[in-house]
Amino acid sequence: MLETTLLLALSSSMVIAIVLGVGLLLLIFFVVSIYNQLVTLRERCDNGFSQIEVQLKRRYDLIPNLVEIAKGYMKHERETLEAVIQARNSAASATTNASTNSGDAAAITALAGAEGVLTQSLGRLFALSESYPDLKANQNMMSLQEELSSTENKVAFARQAFNDVVTSYNIGRAKFPAVIFSNMMGFPDRPLLEFENAEQIQEAPKMSF
Amino acid sequence: MSATMDFFEHQDRARKRTGRLILLFATAVAGIMFSTYLLVMAIFVFGRQKMAEGGEAVEVISWFQPELLGIVALATMAIVGLGSMFKVAQLSGGGHIIAESLSGRQLIPDTTDRVERKVLNVVEEMAIASGTPVPPVYFLDNEPGINAFAAGFAPEDAVIGITRGCAEQLTRDQLQGVVAHEFSHILNGDMRLNIRLIGIVHGILVMGLIGYYVMQMAFYSGASRSHSSNSKGNGMPLIALGLGLMVIGFIGTLFGNLIKAMVSRQREFLADASAVQFTRNPDGIGGALKKIGGFDKGSALDNPNAPVASHMFFSMGIKSGLNAMFSTHPPLDDRISRIQRNWKFEKGDIKAQSTGPGSAAGAMGFAGRSASGAPPPLSIETAVASIGQPTEAHATHAQELIAAIPNSLVDAAREPYGARAVVYALLLDEDDSICNKQLERLAAYADKGVFSETRRLQVAIKSLPDMLRLPLIDLAIPALRALSHSQYVAFRKNVNVLVEADRKINLFEWVLQKIVLRHLEPQFTAVRQPRTAVNQLSVVGDAVSVLLSALSYVGTRDVATAGKAFAIGAGQAGLNDLKQRPLKEARLRALDEALDELAKLTPSAKRTLIAAAAATVAADRKITTGEAELLRAVADTLACPMPPLLPDDALVT
Repeated sequence: MLETTLLLALSSSMVIAIVLGVGLLLLIFFVVSIYNQLVTLRERCDNGFSQIEVQLKRRYDLIPNLVEIAKGYMKHERETLEAVIQARNSAASATTNASTNSGDAAAITALAGAEGVLTQSLGRLFALSESYPDLKANQNMMSLQEELSSTENKVAFARQAFNDVVTSYNIGRAKFPAVIFSNMMGFPDRPLLEFENAEQIQEAPKMSF
Repeated sequence: MSATMDFFEHQDRARKRTGRLILLFATAVAGIMFSTYLLVMAIFVFGRQKMAEGGEAVEVISWFQPELLGIVALATMAIVGLGSMFKVAQLSGGGHIIAESLSGRQLIPDTTDRVERKVLNVVEEMAIASGTPVPPVYFLDNEPGINAFAAGFAPEDAVIGITRGCAEQLTRDQLQGVVAHEFSHILNGDMRLNIRLIGIVHGILVMGLIGYYVMQMAFYSGASRSHSSNSKGNGMPLIALGLGLMVIGFIGTLFGNLIKAMVSRQREFLADASAVQFTRNPDGIGGALKKIGGFDKGSALDNPNAPVASHMFFSMGIKSGLNAMFSTHPPLDDRISRIQRNWKFEKGDIKAQSTGPGSAAGAMGFAGRSASGAPPPLSIETAVASIGQPTEAHATHAQELIAAIPNSLVDAAREPYGARAVVYALLLDEDDSICNKQLERLAAYADKGVFSETRRLQVAIKSLPDMLRLPLIDLAIPALRALSHSQYVAFRKNVNVLVEADRKINLFEWVLQKIVLRHLEPQFTAVRQPRTAVNQLSVVGDAVSVLLSALSYVGTRDVATAGKAFAIGAGQAGLNDLKQRPLKEARLRALDEALDELAKLTPSAKRTLIAAAAATVAADRKITTGEAELLRAVADTLACPMPPLLPDDALVT
């Protein structure tokens, strides 16, 4: 008699344990799939940033050559030229800084600011160059300018891709089941990279969803 | 030896082995069920004896309790099954999840860093040589040891990882050997097998873990109960149950690991052999292995997550205190002596080795084929044989192909902005009026920048030899993977717009669409892999007929010639009474549907099919670039990577 009760007690506690165990496993299963998805999204963000980085660096490499050519013609605009080089240097260091942590809002804002200054100073240089017809006719200058604007297009394109993937990451981590775990598992909200005064923003194609 | 087996046999073997493993697994689970049942019964019988000793009247119970057996069986199945599924789910998120967990950084295709460029170039060459798009490459910056890995559930989501030590310490030849080894894992379906193996072992491990928790629980509840002096000794059976489960789980895990290590070691030898076959240079991979032996960091990895992925590495990633039976990789000297027959292990030799002698090339078992020094004559039939098993000739050819593509195009293909323009420009028609129409459409739909980029590349693309078109697409795939979802949607739309501008699809357009979308789609949308279960071509006879008919009409307007080509192909497929479809039933749209059907074939059936397709195409004894591209697209759709045809192949353009 006691045996049967023992048997029943054991098997019923086993059933409870199994149900709990299966439930727990399913929960873990679920959490892992959320985790994997967030890792995928985060990785796309990082990859998206390196795409921007490589184009920005290409741009930074072009600018000294441009200034070097301009120097030969624009002897009285030294200040403007120096401002360009300075803006280029601080933007380059802001990029390096942001690349180690593309999820850091401060680093991203700093990069956006530095890029804004650089674009402004370049704009001033090009505006001034209007009054130097020889410079405008220089073959090297023309090809550099062409390359620079194509690189800027690439930056805009890569930035759009980056902002897209960051947005889908932010949505992914803030959606209902994921939002419970995302902070715990180390998936904070990520900043978008917005360039304030870049003309490309207006030119960039509007994507329809 | 294994080197004589072809791609399809490896795939079949991997599948069969998976089948056998499931059988083994089922046996193991049955064994576990039985031992658990015995354990539970033993606890009862023991408890009964105790009670009988205490003078209580007890019923005699039978050793066979169907209800209990049912509960135990269900519980065991649920635990092991869920445990396995959990682990497989964790690992099958794609190769990049594993790369990420090892702190890998994805290399961008247009990097300018010298070391990174070297790695990417080697991977690009290998990919083009084997006829697959370039896989993503991850760089483990913080790992000074010499190691590499391939990870992913299917070739479509495979990634290659390289440690910094590997990229910096190895010469280009050695690096090529290592990358070839990893490609062999990808092409032979080893990663899927590995992930399943880990899953099984993990399921059994969970059994032991549960035992551990049951014991803990029993201890605590037993302790609290004895304090309340209520029903003393009630915890004992639970403790015994927990302990028993732990032992069962432990022994099961031990055996599981043993099997896993055995299979893994075998695949390593196979990958080494394939690497030699591909590079035809035993000194490359042999030298890499020797360098690992002579390097004080060896192949050790610092990342704490490394043990989970240990079996995926080129060489032992973790220092194991256990004996050789449990190592996932064969010992270095064993691997080296298999690659270089004359090499004998001597202490100090490994240490001295960095650029050293090494035996004559071709020391492997298949020396007969390479003895003449010249690559064997290749034809379309041997091109089929080289699926999944590119040779050194393909590697050299791939290098030449990449070198022959103008730099402006290679540069554009390596970054997402230009890569789109490359694809658009490839789709522009030769006919000026159609081309203008396409450009008009593109100007309306695509953004300004990419439109002018397309115009800029148009000239270079126009003078690009046809045979370089597919390699260029292979190069562009990794950059296109970096598109965001909305950019991809726009890209796909533009591709369709360009293809349909002239209201009909030509062959190359179809091929390009097929290859580009097949490899990009899984990145952006969930794509279900077809189940491969059909092993008889006759079962899908209709689809076979559409495919062979479509191929027979390519390059000929003559119905009789097409009929002959079809008959040859059908004969090769072993379906002599197959009826050829009229041209209008064998258009590319019908071909799409047929290929979806044919993707369900097992690897060995696919080989027959591709051989039949090749025979149809080669029936007139000449193969145009268009036909070769079509064959490649067909093979690619069936998940069989087909290397580009070599220049010696009888090509008529």
